[in-house]
This record gives sequence, C-alpha cells and structure tokens, in this order.
Amino acid sequence: MIKLVNVNKVYKVDEETDFYALKNANLEIKDREFVAIVGPSGSGKSTLMHIIGLLDKPTSGELLIDGKNVSKLNDDAISSLRNEFVGFVFQQFNLIPKLTVLENILLPVMYARRPIKYDPEKKALALIQKFGLSGKESSYPNKISGGQQQRVAILRALIMEPRLILADEPTGNLDSRTGEGIMNLLKNLNQDEKITVAVVTHEAEIAAFAGRKIKVMDGKIVKTK
Amino acid sequence: MSGIFFVLRSSFADFKRSKMKTFLTSLGILIGVFAVVTLTALGLGLKKYISDQFEALGRNTLFIIPGQVLQGGSFSASSFLGGNFDIKDLTGLSRIRDIKSIAPISTKSGDVKSHKKTEYVTIFFSSADFKDITGLNVSKGRFFNKSDVGKKAKVLVAGKTIAEKLFGTPDQAVGQRVSIDNINFEIIGILKSTGGGGFGGSDYDAYMFGPYTTGYVFDPGKKFIRFAIKYNENANVNVVKEEINKVMLRRYKSDDYSLIEPSQLMSAINSIFAVINIVLVALASISLLVGGIGIMNIMYVTVSDKTKEVGIRRALGARKNDILIQFLIESVILSVIGGVLGLVLAYLGVLAVQSVFPAYVDVGSVILALGVSSGIGILFGVFPAKKASDLTPVEAIRYE
Repeated sequence: MIKLVNVNKVYKVDEETDFYALKNANLEIKDREFVAIVGPSGSGKSTLMHIIGLLDKPTSGELLIDGKNVSKLNDDAISSLRNEFVGFVFQQFNLIPKLTVLENILLPVMYARRPIKYDPEKKALALIQKFGLSGKESSYPNKISGGQQQRVAILRALIMEPRLILADEPTGNLDSRTGEGIMNLLKNLNQDEKITVAVVTHEAEIAAFAGRKIKVMDGKIVKTK
Repeated sequence: MSGIFFVLRSSFADFKRSKMKTFLTSLGILIGVFAVVTLTALGLGLKKYISDQFEALGRNTLFIIPGQVLQGGSFSASSFLGGNFDIKDLTGLSRIRDIKSIAPISTKSGDVKSHKKTEYVTIFFSSADFKDITGLNVSKGRFFNKSDVGKKAKVLVAGKTIAEKLFGTPDQAVGQRVSIDNINFEIIGILKSTGGGGFGGSDYDAYMFGPYTTGYVFDPGKKFIRFAIKYNENANVNVVKEEINKVMLRRYKSDDYSLIEPSQLMSAINSIFAVINIVLVALASISLLVGGIGIMNIMYVTVSDKTKEVGIRRALGARKNDILIQFLIESVILSVIGGVLGLVLAYLGVLAVQSVFPAYVDVGSVILALGVSSGIGILFGVFPAKKASDLTPVEAIRYE
C-alpha cells in the first residue's frame, strides 16, 4: 500500500554540513499490516512517520501510495489525501481544547472535499458508544482522563474511515495499563476493521503488539522483519 | 454549510474565553465607526435641514435681497444689512406678467404683551401672498388677506409655539389682543406647526405675521428687507429674472441687490456640504485605520497562540485556504463586532441629539460602516492569516 523508494530527508545545519534525518530509506507497508516503527529518540523514526503521513515532504526519493507517486502532488491534494487516507494519533492527543468531544471527532469532516456516503454525526455517536465514551459527547477534553482523550483522538482518526492509522508514541503519556488498553484497541481496529496501523514507539512492549518491526537508526532503516 | 458554522462557533468560543481582549481589539473599530457614522449623520442632517428649508419655499421661487451674494453661495456682510426696497419696487415687480405672487418682507422684533405675559418676538410683515409662497397653513382662525393689507388692519397671525407662550393654549389665542410698543393688535389666526427649526432657520412656530402696511407703524421709512416671488410654472426662469432685473435696474445699481434662485443656492450648499462631509469622514477614518492596525497586531499574536491548533487542523486535512479563511473570519468578526457596536452607539447618539439637531443615520452610512469594518477585518487580517496558513504542518504540530 505504501512504498518509500530511496527517500532522503536532509536538513542544512550550516553551509557545508547536511544532516540526514533519513538516508536512502526503502520501505514497504502492506495493506492491513500492523507495523511498529522502533528506534531510539533522534533516530529519524518521527521523520519517517511524518513522511508516511504526508505531513512532511522528502528531500528526494519517492513516496508511492497504491503504486501512485504522491511526492509531486501539490499542497491542496496532499491535504485532501491526509484527510481521506490517514488518521493520526499523537502522543500529546492533540485535541482542540475549545471543542467538545463530539466536535473534535467531527473536525476532519469539516475538511472533506468529497461527499461522505454516511452520516458522520451518526457514525461519531455510534463510535462514542462503542468505545465507551457515552455521556462524554459534550465534555471538553480537559474534563476527561488521558486514556479517554486518546480514545477520542482515535475516534477522530477513524471518522473519515481511513485506510491507515499512524500513531506516534500513542501510549507515551499514559500509564501502562491505559496504554495497553489503547494498544489493544489499535490491534482490534487492525484485525476487525482491516485498517493498516503503523505505531511509532521506543518501547519494546508496545512494539510487541505489531506484526512486524521496522527499526530505524541514525536515519537509516536497519532492519525490518 | 456546516463548515462555516463550525468556524464561526469556534471563533466565538475563543472570543467568549477572552472577552476583554476581544472588546479592546474591537474598540478601535468601534470608535472609528462611531465617529464616521455620527459625523456623517450630523453632516447629512444639516444638509437635509437646509434643503428642506429651501424645499419648503417651493418651486418657482425667487428672492430679491439687498447687497451682493458672492458666487459659490457665500454671503457677503452687506446682504444682511437693513432693508432698502419699498412700495415702488413692489408695484413695479407686480406688473411683471409671469409673477404669480409676490411678498415684500419687513420685520420687527420687540416685546409682545398679552394680558398674561410678555415675550420677545420677531414679527414678519408681508402681503397676503406670503401664505401661498411659504406654504403656511392656519389651524384656527384665518390668515390676513388683501383687505387687511388695504385697511392697514392691526391684526396678527401667530405661530403655534409663541401662541402657547403668550396665551397658554393656542386655541384660546384667536380673538385675543396683544400690544407692541403700546399699539394694540388682534390675533386673528394660529398657524399649524411647521416643526423642525431650532437653530436659526425659519422656525415659523416662533414668529408672528402681519400685513406689511401695518408694519409701517414701526418703520417710518416704509422699507422692505426682501421680496419673495413665485412665478408661473410654465414661465422660463431666465425670462422672469431678466424682467425682474429690468425693473430693479431702473432704481438700483446691479451691486445693490441680488436675485437669488434657491435651486442655485442649493447646489452651492450641496457642494459645500459634500466637501465638509469628506473632510469629516477622512478625519474619522484615521481612527478606523488605527483600529485596523490594532486588529492586525492582535491577529499576529493569535496566530502564534494557535500554531499548534493550525498544525492539528492541517494534519486532519485542512488546506492552506481553510486555515486562511478561519483566521480571516476571526478578524472580520472582531472588526464587525466593533462596527456593529459603533453603529449602535452612533445611532443612540444621533437619537439623543435629534431633538436639538436634525441629524439622521441613513441606510448608506449603515452599509458603509459594516462594509468598511468587514473590509478592515479582511485587509488587516490577511497578513496574519497568510502567516498562519503558510506554517508547515510538521513544524506547527510540534510547536509547544
């Protein structure tokens, strides 16, 4: 589904020195896979995730989605692709504080450019019910627990029915039991809803939920198994 | 579309959380719009008042006044100096075929005594045609007629206000007597209120009126200060003016009198007011400009405050334009809040002064105020909004 071909991400440190956040990265994530992107901090795993998630552009190399090169798409097209194709889950939850739970979940719908075949609000309410957030629809993010906030973030990622969920250290701000709950949730989504999931983490226990680990070190993909 | 509603709702949520900031930001626009609308209202009101005065004189009207009225509508001092026309001019002018009615005017100001009270009043002495030319109506009793003029009858018609002052109620005034300089007059009629006035214009309600022949008792020289003339509707104004000049030039130099056509004066007055209004609005616009800069300043701060939010929205699929519009809407709302409050204040202010000054808020200035304030919102919001939309998603979302 997603393929990186010879991807480099280079930052200029000064006139002479280049810093390679990603160097010659080749990678493929298949449809319905559950992968963990692992590596120490500063290894380039976040950069890798940003490029896969279309938040950042490679300096060189190609990013293929379903065999189509998306590296050359303009900003508007990339934005719409992010909207429809990817759902993000962040370590900091990144909910918008002034919006209610329901409004946060529905936020991506606002930026949809194509007609949505289902009623998003109905879907959101059904998801809220299913994921044990009933009664919190009108609550603001600061009034619910961290685990609940992360679940709201996952529902926000799900509302557009994406094919890929990218989770960047999704358990980093949660205690281990709540974190485990979140990981089980992601695993279920992968197995039951057939959604491709990629989790960025530096914790082995978290990576253990994935079917495959992609190890990043010093900007290079050193091992994928 | 629910998207716009969503943006509006979230903007208002921000405003609600920081009411003071919102108010202070809008304050500049508030003051600007208030100033522009109020000043325009005063200018327009003054202009309308003066046009109405001329309008009340009716069409096909000409005036002859002493002295020279300069081109462009400003008056030279001599035009206000005393009268020097007399009955010979009246006779001469009356012979002009196209003149329908003519009213010679002289005035007397002095104490008028009723059995109850004494009031200082200005009395206009004129012919029976005065009623026709000015369009005055009598609410009780009658206006003086030709026979009163012929008999030098000691009769007066009183405006509504002065009748009230002298006799309590205007209805009781008819038939009563007053004395001026120990000469007795009978009140034969009360005028319908003409309203308005209050600052120097012809507020007929405060005046009294009598036959010009009667007025001679106060002026041994038997002079008139001006003539008001109404000519036939189908007559050519230039021909009428020529005829009048012929009559007048037999006795006077062309510098000694002026023949005024109200429509000409009106256009002079209109152009003066146009200039005054432009200057007033330009001055008031400075505060709009300052208000706009205030909004720009706050919007830059808001963009920094919301960098993270921009990043989140971009990650969820917002395009650059979505972000741009979000911030533009916010600055326009800020600006329009100020605009609407300024408009409301200006409207209340105008209502408050309306009893003493003929100000009015017209639809044009309302549209202008709202248009200008949303325009300012866009103009001064576009740079901060552009800054927000140009943030790269990765940097924005990492921002703490």
